[in-house]
Amino acid sequence: MATSGNKNINAKLVLLGDVGAGKSSLVLRFVKDQFVEFQESTIGAAFFSQTLAVNDATVKFEIWDTAGQERYHSLAPMYYRGAAAAIIVFDITNQASFERAKKWVQELQAQGNPNMVMALAGNKADLLDARKVSAEEAEIYAQENSLFFMETSAKTATNVKDIFYEIAKRLPRVQPAENPTGMVLPNGPGATAVSSSCCA
Amino acid sequence: MSRKRTENDSESGPATSHVPVDRFGFLKQEHGNSPERFSKTRTTSSTDHDREERKVRKWRKMIGVGGSDWKHYVRRKPNVVKRRIRKGIPDCLRGLVWQLISGSRDLLLMNPGVYEQLVIYETSASELDIIRDISRTFPSHVFFQKRHGPGQRSLYNILKAYSVYDRDVGYVQGMGFIAGLLLLYMSEEDAFWLLVALLKGAVHAPMEGLYHAGLPLVQQYLFQLESLVKELIPKLGEHFTQEMINPSMYASQWFITVFSYSFPFPLALRIWDVFLSEGVKIVFKVGLALLKYCQDELVKLPFEKLIHALKNFPDDAMNPDTLLPLAYSIKVSKRLEELKLDYEKTNAKPVQP
Repeated sequence: MATSGNKNINAKLVLLGDVGAGKSSLVLRFVKDQFVEFQESTIGAAFFSQTLAVNDATVKFEIWDTAGQERYHSLAPMYYRGAAAAIIVFDITNQASFERAKKWVQELQAQGNPNMVMALAGNKADLLDARKVSAEEAEIYAQENSLFFMETSAKTATNVKDIFYEIAKRLPRVQPAENPTGMVLPNGPGATAVSSSCCA
Repeated sequence: MSRKRTENDSESGPATSHVPVDRFGFLKQEHGNSPERFSKTRTTSSTDHDREERKVRKWRKMIGVGGSDWKHYVRRKPNVVKRRIRKGIPDCLRGLVWQLISGSRDLLLMNPGVYEQLVIYETSASELDIIRDISRTFPSHVFFQKRHGPGQRSLYNILKAYSVYDRDVGYVQGMGFIAGLLLLYMSEEDAFWLLVALLKGAVHAPMEGLYHAGLPLVQQYLFQLESLVKELIPKLGEHFTQEMINPSMYASQWFITVFSYSFPFPLALRIWDVFLSEGVKIVFKVGLALLKYCQDELVKLPFEKLIHALKNFPDDAMNPDTLLPLAYSIKVSKRLEELKLDYEKTNAKPVQP
């Protein structure tokens, strides 16, 4: 959840989307301002963080980048559960990746945090000649499902910072009352309230 | 594969020419898999060289011509073999020995022509998935770097062949790193049968459950690992619980790729020597040894730094000559069995293929 202490907001964000849509590349561009043509496949999940200043607050994104393949689906709930935001990524040159993105949106609507800020990223926008998914089609889908849509290019850095910035602006500024725990450990014991016995 | 520099690679792509690579073929400026950090300790003095040569001679004797004496030797002196493998198989014999200890040699001999059939005549539903990942598997290795080069072609062939051979598994991300590692040490067909031996369980428990729908074996291993951390490194286990660190966040790739993903290559090779001879328990042992070695640091870290540290162990922790002896000293076999039963009791049986 987005937790706010004064004007510092911590927001857990998850990236979901088809294999090779460019999830890791978007994160790499956002966090390190780098791009590699052949980004090693993500196995399991990877974690990053990056801070952004918006008008009224400093938002620290805690980003989970997930593996895209359908077979890894069973690991995903751990990362989107309790997330304040999600970027669902597809590749504008690949129609199947757009269909897969829609499936993720459905799943998040059904299983995710109801206040989650969801962004739809049509990545690889630099590859205009190979486009298979029109911006209009994606935009209409996004509006119908109350997400916001941007076309991005991790390669040219187009709209990458912007999409995170837009999410940061839309994050709720007040912590919801329910305050659910960030993550549920599958076989965790009844949350042993441990005294602060940690050395540090 | 063990050239210091790629001066003879006129046929490899422009990206790789005159780029310094380490002794395993990874580009030097890349980190991640690059074992550059260990090259300091590899200044081969003449005594090292002599020792290495004696070692190779011993191994050659044990193997015989083309592996002819191997089975006999293993039957007579299993403990000698186990001990020698734990010290590391000589790199020049690694490919052959891996095939002998994994049982893949026998599979190859029993199935003449099968691989060729799978590669040439069969089509797979996973072909596009595989293609998309090919250039994203060991992208910093010279052999796999060139688009449509021999490395990428072999990788594609193996993965496609496997996805046809075993349609329940098909192709799963992560298998490419295993196939890639094998391809650096043996031919395509040999590597294919080794993959089969591992997934189908020629010698040890089958690995295929790692890749089935729902990743049932990954889930079981993570459950076992989490319990073992709590039992053997209780302070760290408690810290993980407090910081809400789930083993899936750092260890799923350990199991899915058997440390062939984002670990220093020399360490990965040494782990694979033992993995092929003793089975998956070495993955637990190495994982636990890493955590144990670093626990004083790890228990001080809050969530974010902790996650980072768990994906970026320090160089000294990943030195095989210190890590592996520590790993061997951790006993897990009995508890792994018991925890497996616990897991099966609390979870519905995974779907049978």
